[in-house]
Amino acid sequence: MSERWMVGFATTAAIGAALGLLYWAGAYELRLGTILAMYIALATGWNLIGGMAGYPSFATAAFFGLGAYAGTLTQVKGVPMVLAWTFAAVVAATVALAIGWIVLRLRGHYFAIASFAVVIVLREVATNWTGLTGGGMGVSLPMLQSSMLAQARLFFAAQAVLAALAVAISLFVAYSKLGFALGCIRQNESAAGMLGLDARRAKTAAFCISSAITGAAGAIYASSIFYIDPSDVFDILLSVKPIIMAMLGGAGTVAGPILGATLFMILEQTVWANFLSVHSAILGALVVVIAMFVPRGLFGRRLRRRLA
Amino acid sequence: MNVGLPDVLVQLRSRGRQATIPSVYPPIIHYATRRGQSGKDHPVTAISRRTLIATALVTPAIARRAFSQAKVIKIGAPLPLTGALAPEGLKQRRGYEIWADAVKSADGIKVGNDRVKVELAYADYESNTPRAAQAVERMITQGGVSAVFGPYGSGAVKASSTVTERHKVPMLAPTASAREVYDQGHKFLFGTLAPNDAVTVPLARFMLAAVPNLKRMAILSRNDLFPLALGQQMEQAAKQSNIEVASFQRYPIGAMDHASALTEMAATKPDWVFVTGYTNDLILVRRQMHELKFTARVITMLTGPSYKEFIDALGPLAERVSSVSWWEPVLPYRGVGPFATSEDYAKAFTARYNVVPDYGEASSTACAVVLQTAAEKAQSIEPIALRDALAGLEVLTFYGPIKFGPSGQIESQKCPIFQLQGGKRVIVAPADIRQGDLQIIS
Amino acid sequence: MIAQVLLNGLLLGGLYACIAAGFSLLWGVMNVINLLHGTLVVLGGYLAWMAFYFFGVHPLVALPAVALLVGLFGASLQAGVLGRVVGAPVLVTLVITFGLDLITRNGLLLSFGADFRTIRPSWTLGTAEVGGLKIPLDRTIAASAALAMTLALYLLLRRSWLGRAIIAVRMDRDAAALMGVRVRHAFTAAFALSAALAGAAGALLGLVFPISPLQSDGYLGTAFTVCVLGGLGSVVGAVVGGVVLGLVESIAGFALGAENASIVSFVLLILLLAVRPEGLLGRRGYA
Repeated sequence: MSERWMVGFATTAAIGAALGLLYWAGAYELRLGTILAMYIALATGWNLIGGMAGYPSFATAAFFGLGAYAGTLTQVKGVPMVLAWTFAAVVAATVALAIGWIVLRLRGHYFAIASFAVVIVLREVATNWTGLTGGGMGVSLPMLQSSMLAQARLFFAAQAVLAALAVAISLFVAYSKLGFALGCIRQNESAAGMLGLDARRAKTAAFCISSAITGAAGAIYASSIFYIDPSDVFDILLSVKPIIMAMLGGAGTVAGPILGATLFMILEQTVWANFLSVHSAILGALVVVIAMFVPRGLFGRRLRRRLA
Repeated sequence: MNVGLPDVLVQLRSRGRQATIPSVYPPIIHYATRRGQSGKDHPVTAISRRTLIATALVTPAIARRAFSQAKVIKIGAPLPLTGALAPEGLKQRRGYEIWADAVKSADGIKVGNDRVKVELAYADYESNTPRAAQAVERMITQGGVSAVFGPYGSGAVKASSTVTERHKVPMLAPTASAREVYDQGHKFLFGTLAPNDAVTVPLARFMLAAVPNLKRMAILSRNDLFPLALGQQMEQAAKQSNIEVASFQRYPIGAMDHASALTEMAATKPDWVFVTGYTNDLILVRRQMHELKFTARVITMLTGPSYKEFIDALGPLAERVSSVSWWEPVLPYRGVGPFATSEDYAKAFTARYNVVPDYGEASSTACAVVLQTAAEKAQSIEPIALRDALAGLEVLTFYGPIKFGPSGQIESQKCPIFQLQGGKRVIVAPADIRQGDLQIIS
Repeated sequence: MIAQVLLNGLLLGGLYACIAAGFSLLWGVMNVINLLHGTLVVLGGYLAWMAFYFFGVHPLVALPAVALLVGLFGASLQAGVLGRVVGAPVLVTLVITFGLDLITRNGLLLSFGADFRTIRPSWTLGTAEVGGLKIPLDRTIAASAALAMTLALYLLLRRSWLGRAIIAVRMDRDAAALMGVRVRHAFTAAFALSAALAGAAGALLGLVFPISPLQSDGYLGTAFTVCVLGGLGSVVGAVVGGVVLGLVESIAGFALGAENASIVSFVLLILLLAVRPEGLLGRRGYA
């Protein structure tokens, strides 16, 4: 009962904050908000396959980059933005379906490595297929003619809507049969099979939904910076950060990735601004401390599993 | 606009910026409270006479400082100070610093009737392109810069130039030469490195004339923006000069081994080998060529041989490697700015940093000098006025004649072709600045 | 020309085997994927460079010292950090070693800068030419030394008490403890060995390649691929995997162009994982 109240309160607060940013904040704050929304979307997306299903996926960067390229290349051909973003999500999900057929047979470490390898392969393909992707020289988008404040608002709204969608999907999955199946898979996949669960279908569904969200985030990101190249959008850190965020907040829960993303974002921005030469060491130390002392996440134990 | 951010974040942000006016008052009050004989810590009553006199003496100095602080031109300089491109970022920084110091000792730059102080705002974007764009945006919206010096390399400039274009702030890029960087129709982007075809076309013509019976060449390019663009330009220039391109290979970023590419190239028996990449790649390629006993009559590498690191790392293997540069210390130009001639610049640079400047450093200084000239001409430090002045500028500097074409890229530059002979860069073309002849590798 | 390509591949393969042997040990024995491995290799390279630059010592001579230092570093990491999370889920150890990797890399970057260091010994053996085949002798020596060290590891594991203790712990931890094996020490020893081998590989690689913190990702990726190819739980597997990878990369680079060589090796990795995850020679335990 009190949980529902907390959720309702949190949702209202979040919507309020988003609207507040939209109406009163300047371009810089909006940009920060956009990054936060993107992080929330990515962490929530990863959580579906990595947290709920227990499959430690490092493929986030692969689908992010894929979405970025799919979105950009269609936009270059004249497709309107929102349509391009949706197309990117569809492309990411389709590729996930194909790759998942091979990669989801593996478990544990092997799955992690395979997902990591997928990132590298896609990155190299993007770099070498110069005819399609411009190769190492990247792709540029024509600049929008509106004011920078209007643009900042547009992209913030887009990422925020995506983040909200991702959380909604996550909630829906958590309470559905799919969520139950994923939980069983996470705990003991063989036993789950004995219960009559089609583990294959469940895993693939989670993987595809996760990559669709990630792909859309990538496409919106690409539209907002107007120029992408393979090493930027297929950066392995894009795979690792959502994992850390979800772990920080509590992998497997719905609110965990959101809280983890927010906390991580604050830490990242303050560290980057103030400790230039040692920032990656600090990030690393943070990561180690989190993994060692709070592997279930800050909120993983206190709030109930399914909801928070 | 600083609406809506909690105080602590605002404070944390402002700590990153350099303080412009040193706070003098708090120490005085602190001094006063400590020395207060009455034992009470009240700042007003505890001010002793000594302190009052001290304050009276110091105030005019503060006032003068505060007054002269009024006119400052802030220039943003995002650089890769850490990460893969850190060495290049540091070079760019040196180029700016030496100009900033010269300007400081001349008491600022002349804008109209004022002398305006120069303040460079650095930010480290960790060799990560999206961060570069973010850093530029931060400098413009939070830092109040009037102009931005471009980040290192074509990719980062291309990405962050969209930011400066949107905010209508001029960007001067000292280290971006690919035409693709300037093809987005940006009005606020300027570059002081001539486009790649200004390098490759004269190079092909020169080699054709200088090397007897030059029929075939092989090209090996690194697979990212600038080196690949350069390689493709070379291919086109070769075709124009009727040189057959027997092999065009690309190697991935971070490649550790070039043996297969080199083996294949060797099989085509080229007269001329042309390799693009960054210093580290080129060192590795040259070493492996030697290991595989692969040699050609001409070996040209861009952009390594311009740097001391290349010569040091390779030793005797660097002999007779040719290259093209955008500036050399021996160029005969004399122009405006704190450094009248190339020689003056080289001397000042060597005196300060103990190393002869290369074209990247010179280009960075040139950007700064050009900005200074534009500010003087426009008699303003407003971004749009600066931009208009830059667009119409035509000036001679130690770096050579500077005039920007319609895309913003410099179109007045002649690129010297040189060869490493005896560990030194010897210019072999163009004819008016020639120092020696090209030596064929036997 | 095909012979030259094969030779290039073999020489590369020897070095790859050495990079991967330590990684395979850790994965096979402790079920820990050490994302720090590539950086340990680079650390070894830097130590060798320092030995060369400050003391004029050739990397081959500095090898034992370098291995020892990196091994000690590894042991301290294990005792201090990783030892506390033995048996934790996959993700936790992956993330911890990733964090340690960030810290170490930052440290290297601060100490040495991102500039590449090259070791240029005054005596180089040059290149021998046998019937049109060009054999770079420095590389050959480095590859041979790498294989020799891998062999040493094999012997150590098979013949020495320490080696058998490590294998016993992998097979059955509790039974090993009952047999009088101090499990914690076995783990520390395994990590130390793995790190020492990585450092030694780095020193040898320093003879051939420029050294920089940026190379560590490449070495890590290589270690992964070799382990998957050759199979965990086998030193011989690491050697076979290394050689096969070297040959595959060399041939793929020759046939498809240098830029596609890594695609081929990673696609191979994925396919192998799907079809035969235990690799060419894998089996449980470590021998």
